[in-house]
Amino acid sequence: MIRRLRPWLTRLYPRAWRIRYEDEFTALLEQCLNSPLDVLDILLGAIDAHLLLLSGEPLNWRVMNMLNKIRTAVLIVFAAYIGFVVAGFALVGMADDSPMIALTKTNPSLTAAWVTIQTGATIGLLAVVIGGLPLAITVIRQALSDARRGLRLLLVPAFALLALVAYVMFVLAVGNGRIQLPGVERVIQPGTFPPGNRLLMAGLMATFVLGAIASTLAVWKVISRTDIEQETFRALKRSITVIIYRFAYWPAVVTTLAMFVMLVATVIWGTLAFASLPGVFAGNFGPWGTSTQVWFVGITLLMTLSTVAAFLGVIRARSSQRLPPP
Amino acid sequence: MDINDFGLFSNPSLLILASLAGGEKHGYAMMEDIRVMTGVRLGAGTLYGAITRLEQSGLIESLPADERRRPYRLTAQGALLLRQTLSDLEKFAGLGLKRLAAT
Repeated sequence: MIRRLRPWLTRLYPRAWRIRYEDEFTALLEQCLNSPLDVLDILLGAIDAHLLLLSGEPLNWRVMNMLNKIRTAVLIVFAAYIGFVVAGFALVGMADDSPMIALTKTNPSLTAAWVTIQTGATIGLLAVVIGGLPLAITVIRQALSDARRGLRLLLVPAFALLALVAYVMFVLAVGNGRIQLPGVERVIQPGTFPPGNRLLMAGLMATFVLGAIASTLAVWKVISRTDIEQETFRALKRSITVIIYRFAYWPAVVTTLAMFVMLVATVIWGTLAFASLPGVFAGNFGPWGTSTQVWFVGITLLMTLSTVAAFLGVIRARSSQRLPPP
Repeated sequence: MDINDFGLFSNPSLLILASLAGGEKHGYAMMEDIRVMTGVRLGAGTLYGAITRLEQSGLIESLPADERRRPYRLTAQGALLLRQTLSDLEKFAGLGLKRLAAT
């Protein structure tokens, strides 16, 4: 009975304290929480921790929160990157359904802008993978060893991907006639987009966007609970210790710069393409026959917001005292 | 009757510093060491209340966590403070013993 109180007792402590001590304190409670007196001692300890925060004593809580600061900064860049990816997919979706792709292949300036977007996407993805790999391994290791709620949260991205794959397969099955839905046409005439098809594709985008949001929130939650600062990896009989958030800093900078370059390239590409094809910009060449203007403005707005958020994340990380001077 | 009932070892911070003087330890190891050394069983809340203050004051420092258990060690400042405090206690103990001998 008393042992069941463990998570609740820990939550009585101030958040700033828990960020720094929760994991080791929980590990200790697993060994020594046996009697009502232990519970009382923890209750008093929690009050003491709150009073310590309120006392305004010159305690270095900032140092205590440094891990939280750099972790939040890295997470901001990650969430901003996901937002940018969503915008990027929308851009590809818009371009694919329009005459702009054919124009891009023949116009050197448009080709250069499009290749820059693709190169930025590749570099950004690589930087996220490289910077996030030690963190991902650490988080998964901790979730597996603890078998806590973190493990369930880590399943969210897997389920989101599964849902997306399942929906795509469903759409393909409808497309090749294996599944027939009322109001959905297998072959669409140019310039038309039946409501059933529109609904089907809207469902695909909703699955993608909601999955991306849910996955980002789940990853954010899991990582914000992980207070491990460094992780030792063993490979080829050698041990490498990585200070994970510091390691993630430069990949986060590269990702942010890649986002900025892609944003500029997207604006240039759009401006040049729409100058050559004004009818396309004024028309309905967005996904499912929707307004091109609305889509393009929405895409560039989301890219801009994501890039600004990523820059703010990098600035926050840089201001952390644990980072080496530039 | 136990002298601990009167609060001889009622300063958790001093007990932690003395425990860490024997080498780096994580929370549970400190608890056990202090129990063996003094007969006092510190509660988890008391232990971490003291650890928080000692770390914030720069008297102890944390080391990289071993899974979830994070060891601590004395800093030079912590060792100096412990030495001064124990010397004062030693003088106090000597004075008390002299007075007892005189009675």
